[in-house]
Amino acid sequence: MSRKIIPYILLIPTFLIIIIFIYWPAVYSFKLSFYRISPFGNRMIFVGIRNFKNLFHDPDYITALKITAIYVSVSVALTIFASFFIALLLNMKVPGTPVYKALLFIPYAISPAISGTLWSFLLNPVVGHVNYFMSKFFGLRVEWLTTKPYALYAIIIASVWKVMPFDIIFYLAGVQNVPDDLLEASTLDGASTWTRIWKIIFPLLSPITFYLVIMNIISFMFSSFAIVDVMTRGGPGNYTTTMIYKLYLDAFAFQKTGIASAESVILFIIMTIVTIAYFYFGERRVHYQ
Amino acid sequence: MNVFHDDIISVLNLKNFYRGGFFVKKVLVVLMVALAVLSMAKIKIQFWHAMGGWRIDLIKSMAEEFMKLHPDIEVDVQYTGSYHDTLNKLIAAVKAGNPPHIVQIYDIGTQVMIDGGIAVPIQDLIDKDKSFDLGKFMPQVLNYYRVNGKLYSMPFNSSNPILYYNKTLFKKAGLDPNKPPRTFEELLEYAKKLTVKDANGNTIQYGITWPLHSWFFEQFMAVQNAPLVNNNNGRTGRPTKAVFDNEAGRRFFRLWYELTKNGWMINTKKEDWDEANQYFISQKAAMLITSTSDVAYIAKLAKQHGFELGTAFLPRPKNAKSGGVVIGGASLWIIGGHPQKEIQAAWEFVKFLTTTKMQIEWHTKTGYFPVRKDAVETLMNEGYYAKHPNMLTALLQLLLSVQNYNTNGAVIGAFPEVRQIIEDAVEKMLNGEMSPEDALAWAQKEATKAIQEYNEVYAY
Repeated sequence: MSRKIIPYILLIPTFLIIIIFIYWPAVYSFKLSFYRISPFGNRMIFVGIRNFKNLFHDPDYITALKITAIYVSVSVALTIFASFFIALLLNMKVPGTPVYKALLFIPYAISPAISGTLWSFLLNPVVGHVNYFMSKFFGLRVEWLTTKPYALYAIIIASVWKVMPFDIIFYLAGVQNVPDDLLEASTLDGASTWTRIWKIIFPLLSPITFYLVIMNIISFMFSSFAIVDVMTRGGPGNYTTTMIYKLYLDAFAFQKTGIASAESVILFIIMTIVTIAYFYFGERRVHYQ
Repeated sequence: MNVFHDDIISVLNLKNFYRGGFFVKKVLVVLMVALAVLSMAKIKIQFWHAMGGWRIDLIKSMAEEFMKLHPDIEVDVQYTGSYHDTLNKLIAAVKAGNPPHIVQIYDIGTQVMIDGGIAVPIQDLIDKDKSFDLGKFMPQVLNYYRVNGKLYSMPFNSSNPILYYNKTLFKKAGLDPNKPPRTFEELLEYAKKLTVKDANGNTIQYGITWPLHSWFFEQFMAVQNAPLVNNNNGRTGRPTKAVFDNEAGRRFFRLWYELTKNGWMINTKKEDWDEANQYFISQKAAMLITSTSDVAYIAKLAKQHGFELGTAFLPRPKNAKSGGVVIGGASLWIIGGHPQKEIQAAWEFVKFLTTTKMQIEWHTKTGYFPVRKDAVETLMNEGYYAKHPNMLTALLQLLLSVQNYNTNGAVIGAFPEVRQIIEDAVEKMLNGEMSPEDALAWAQKEATKAIQEYNEVYAY
């Protein structure tokens, strides 16, 4: 066999798996998004783009879009900045750093459902620790998971806590690689710590930030599901119902396969736009060494 | 090994194959042996259920008992997650052409299952089985699962809500522990008296709690003898609209709102049964409304936590019509598309689960109602109800309920979505976004939309 064919033959197994488990379902959900389907799939009616039209006329879906936008942007910003600073702190040679590192990385190893459960315990209004301390020190008690706007705060706190270690690992590796002579030179030139962080370290790490922002958007948009499901079930009302949670409800709680497929197509389009836009605009401002 | 090896060689070697004779004979012998083994093999049936926690072992032990009696049948029992998950797995399995034989589906999935057309209606099996007497079953339970006069599935775990209350805390608050609240008005008064605050003004003990679940709305509508949807609650035809925006609905929404606004009630997140149980057991709430399926569990924990438990019927608004409670829980469906022998084995197993002995075991260990009258009779004669008054409360509330379309429960295809809408409305009301009246009107409008959307698929 010629050398040209062999690589393709070797790739066949991989492609088969990808096609069966990723491309085929994706194409199939595009198709389903144009149908109304009974729960057991025994009836299918072609409705054209009516599923999409209905969605954009559905105030609940519009709310889900808005909530997702707020939730994702706030969470991404918080995660990026918090993990950057924690990475800087971890990079200082203080005694016990390995212990702090271990403690900070633990959330990454915990499954989203478990972390949601842990936060539900902590934020329980009557027996939770957070309220215990808040009422002790400030005489305040908040129903974190069932009232507005605290439910959204709770979701954001839990998600950021869960995703942060991933970012810290990347930033820590980046911070450790910043050349010492650069920092030394700037210190000699009289730059303050603050300036050093923002004018030297942060720009040098911009490729990492660039990568992390995209990864974080994806993880907040898609894997926020478990935390929402465990902590608030999308409530109060539909106040914490993100797009992915609404998709789950329509698909697996209400068995509306057609509409759920339309929602997944919309998510797909949004993600495509975000990625393209970010590469287009982000590319110019990123500093590659 | 060598024989097999030779076989493979001969299969691959076409020359040998065409020579025929010896090889063909060998294959025939192998086939016959295989057939004989297969025909002696046990009939295997799959049973999927949604009873989590310690009930997994209980159901397994029931299946083992069945297999002892029927050595030719092997029941593969699988816990398939929550009611939602089980229905989803069933749908996936049906689409993949590999469904289980028996599956436990929740009450509100009944219409979806009928519309799916995948089940063997239990009625058909009963009609063929001369030994089976449906007259021994509790009509209250059968009425729920009978749609258009036909019984589609076998009632298995049935429950309804009752009021649990902490007698010890009643005494502390100066209330008579033998006089639980009977009306909405009394409930408000009691909840107020049972709420305790600390020096900072923070509540340390709430009057009452129940899970934030649409089920309670549905029950309190039935208690006031009011329907949820048109066409006689969907029992004489597919419902086309929701009809719960009326005085009965408003009374319950207002009660919920009053209790919460005044800080006498602690609410959970959507459908969180455990959280409400926890508040009651840790004595952070003095009263609890929840399913009778937890009677045994709560009674045990109350003892451990050192308080006296009381149970009572659901309270009712003073001037409302008398209704009753609706059966909740799940039933067993036999899925078609299997060989007749396996369907018959599945039917044997379903029958076994509803025998008097099994029903007594199920009832006394969980608190779910027995679906048979003779199970109740046997337990009564044994003095069981005298020793377990809380079990009697649950049973009596059901038996004393008026039997009509309103208390038989609504049949709605889009029930899961209607439930979500009602829960959203309640949360919006409790968060002060909507008045009780507006929330109820909004819920009715949205529920009607969901019902009509569901019907569209079946319109032609």
